[in-house]
Amino acid sequence: MTVARETYFIYVRNLRAWMAQPALVISTVTFSLFMFLFFGAPLSGMTAIPGFPSDDYQAYITGMVIVMAVVFNGSDVAFSLLTDMLSGYFDKLLLAPVNRFSILMGTLLMSGTRAMIQVLGIMVMAAILGVRFEGGLLGLLAILAAATTFGIATACLGLIIALKTKSVQVTQNSWLLFMPLAFLTTAFMPRDLLTGWFKVAVMLNPVDYVMVGVRTIVIEGWNWDSILPGFWVLVVTTVIMLTAATWAYRRETA
Amino acid sequence: MPDENMVEVGDLVKIYPGGTRAVSNIDFSVSKGDFFGFLGPNGAGKTTTMKILATLLKKTSGVVTVAGRDVDSEPKAVRRSIGFAMQEVGLDDLAAGRDFLRLQGVLYGLSARESRRRADDLLELVGLTSVAGRRVGTYSGGMRRRVDLAGALMHSPDLLFLDEPTVGLDPQSRLTMWEHLDNLNAGGVTILLTTQMMEEADRLCRSIAIIDQGRIVAEGSPQSLKADVGGDVVQVVLEGADDALYAKAEDALRQRARVDAVNRADHGLAVTVKDGSAAVPAIVGLLHDDGIPVANLSVARPSLDDVFLKHTGRTIRVEEATGDEVGEMMRPLMGLKKR
Repeated sequence: MTVARETYFIYVRNLRAWMAQPALVISTVTFSLFMFLFFGAPLSGMTAIPGFPSDDYQAYITGMVIVMAVVFNGSDVAFSLLTDMLSGYFDKLLLAPVNRFSILMGTLLMSGTRAMIQVLGIMVMAAILGVRFEGGLLGLLAILAAATTFGIATACLGLIIALKTKSVQVTQNSWLLFMPLAFLTTAFMPRDLLTGWFKVAVMLNPVDYVMVGVRTIVIEGWNWDSILPGFWVLVVTTVIMLTAATWAYRRETA
Repeated sequence: MPDENMVEVGDLVKIYPGGTRAVSNIDFSVSKGDFFGFLGPNGAGKTTTMKILATLLKKTSGVVTVAGRDVDSEPKAVRRSIGFAMQEVGLDDLAAGRDFLRLQGVLYGLSARESRRRADDLLELVGLTSVAGRRVGTYSGGMRRRVDLAGALMHSPDLLFLDEPTVGLDPQSRLTMWEHLDNLNAGGVTILLTTQMMEEADRLCRSIAIIDQGRIVAEGSPQSLKADVGGDVVQVVLEGADDALYAKAEDALRQRARVDAVNRADHGLAVTVKDGSAAVPAIVGLLHDDGIPVANLSVARPSLDDVFLKHTGRTIRVEEATGDEVGEMMRPLMGLKKR
């Protein structure tokens, strides 16, 4: 059986397992909706600050809501994998005479799909709230592609946590690691308006570059000066995370 | 490797990181068509050995071939030739029973159509057709074991590894499972099973290896192992559970009665003698003379319990329901109702 075929079957199984847990899907959608409701309208006065790059705060935080959903996706993937490991199903997959990388690939591709579906939902939500996408249809597709890729990168981090710790406690609390990645960003305010250690931390956080890129597509359109750094950070981060996850996976399943 | 051996294990050692020596220099072989039992208490090294045979765990040293293939150099070929139902039943609780089996089929190289047909046949065989569309997470313990067995059979393997297949099952489900296993073996499938249940090993297996603390302490057919114990076993239960009294009785019997062996068992003393009915009056008389009160006394032909006792000086304590503990633990995490 080819690796592609094996990967496909494992991917479908993971997708079905996700769909079989509607609570997971609903909680992600609700989380994003809350972000819009709690931070969108109430903080809309921020746009009056001189130097703020947009006059629509909902549009400004759309980038944050998208990236945050994808970042926390990594924590969910870790938990799904751990569930399979503790139930013994992961061993069952390893017992099958398949290329073991198809198990890894099926899991990561599923995470990408999951991130893409979530982000599609968020964009629909944003459109309903009146957000205009300056990047147009091509911009929407670019954001979906970025979400899928970034979903794979964050899933790699989740996978490493689950594989290395094999602990429900640690994995359940892995959002503590994802939280600073998501919040030490320009989520609410652009970099120029930040100060002190926070600004330094934001500049060191790769997630922020992706967030800036996505947000730029939403509020400005194709401003390559802001988009390209995000693009490269996304590519490099994904390659590093894929390598690290493959290494961890190879060690744990050898 | 001779053709007739499906499993060959030579000088196998497994030391876990941290230094625990789970398996110590064991040798055994399983011939084609055999029903082989690995009998031993929890922590004896049964599951570790089984996982090494199935390529799930790397050995520290030794030689292991399964279906003629080396587990290290040809792991994929080994995996293709075996079916494995595990103690920590590895089921996909979120999938319907039918979907779980179909995926197993395609992962073992069946076409989607073959896999569908085979899944339906096996669901019929293990009596789960009526619940095939239900999620595995809603199945009872017995149903889970049966769907797991069906999963292990999807690719029609010649060799089946079963790790404590009936632990935690009620007697009725256990009997049903035993019948399935008997039928499979009669159909030519070689079975290697681990168990800590004497009754199970005695009922199913043609060859047995008794494993304790990582070592094989005895090997043979149940009949030959029992014959080796020699003679009958007289179970002596004293009034009260006074250790000192038992020690006194043990000494008295060892020194002054014509017995082959005296061992402390779970509920009293197990006294091995040539002829049980002839020995009873002498034992009762001797204990009475020493003022040791006897509460109960029975004579039995040797069982595998006695075999284990003879070789290890201990009895096996079966810890029921260990197999389902992990499943139960996961249930709340997945939002599933307790069955």
